[in-house]
Amino acid sequence: MSQSTLLIVFDGVLLVTLLALAAAAVLSPEPRRAVMLFIAFGLWLALIWARLQAPDVALAEAAIGAGLGGALMLAAARRAARSAASPDRERQP
Amino acid sequence: MPEFLLVMALVLLLTMSAGLVRVVIGPTPADRMMAAQLLGTSGIAVLLLLGLALEVPALLDVALIFALLAAVSVAAFTRRRAGADQA
Amino acid sequence: MSTETILHLSAAVCVTLGATFFLAGTIGLLRLPDLFSRLHALTKADNLGLGLVMLGLILYQPDLFYAVKLILLWVVVMVSGATGAHLIAKRALRGDGEDMT
Repeated sequence: MSQSTLLIVFDGVLLVTLLALAAAAVLSPEPRRAVMLFIAFGLWLALIWARLQAPDVALAEAAIGAGLGGALMLAAARRAARSAASPDRERQP
Repeated sequence: MPEFLLVMALVLLLTMSAGLVRVVIGPTPADRMMAAQLLGTSGIAVLLLLGLALEVPALLDVALIFALLAAVSVAAFTRRRAGADQA
Repeated sequence: MSTETILHLSAAVCVTLGATFFLAGTIGLLRLPDLFSRLHALTKADNLGLGLVMLGLILYQPDLFYAVKLILLWVVVMVSGATGAHLIAKRALRGDGEDMT
């Protein structure tokens, strides 16, 4: 197989999986699961930027989009789950 | 030889897509986190192979960020237990 | 056979072996029954697989700076992978009700 055919197959797999990941993250009912899917989505998007020969954008996406954003959203989802499970014991030591 | 590297990157990408199934169905959150960790590591391998095959040396730095990302997200994920122990 | 051919062949063997380890790790992640055996399959498979892929890449492009950077990256991945595996296992072992759903 020539290099361009391989690259087209590679791009096809990347695109289909990215769309599936995005749909799964948006349609997920549980916040923490959605955040994990979002982290995976950020990784995948960074791979796509890398494939588009834009390593700087891939760097920013992996560090900010998936890393920092994912960590912040994990904390927020955890807090939401806790306050939903026990609204009255939220402030208890 | 670049074709061979691309084929290997494609194989790794397909295993990553298979690992995604565990992120979606994984019964516990820990399972999902583990799958995300495997995704990060295979992503590093794919980036290294791509960087050599497409001759974009800067992808090595993106791979470094991926390695950091795995550590940060696992730490953020497990932080709750430590906080509960302190409280 | 020239030196370059030998290097490229050994690089191909190493990268293929590494990809096999990744494949085994993913199959283990999908097929093994409970969390701890999945963790066990995964951590070994992906560290060794990444190491073999990197060894292959170093053989493919023998350059000192590149090799040092790859080895440092491997060390970072191993340290963070081991720490993360311990954290996940400890958390699952002492897991409380709301997390084990």
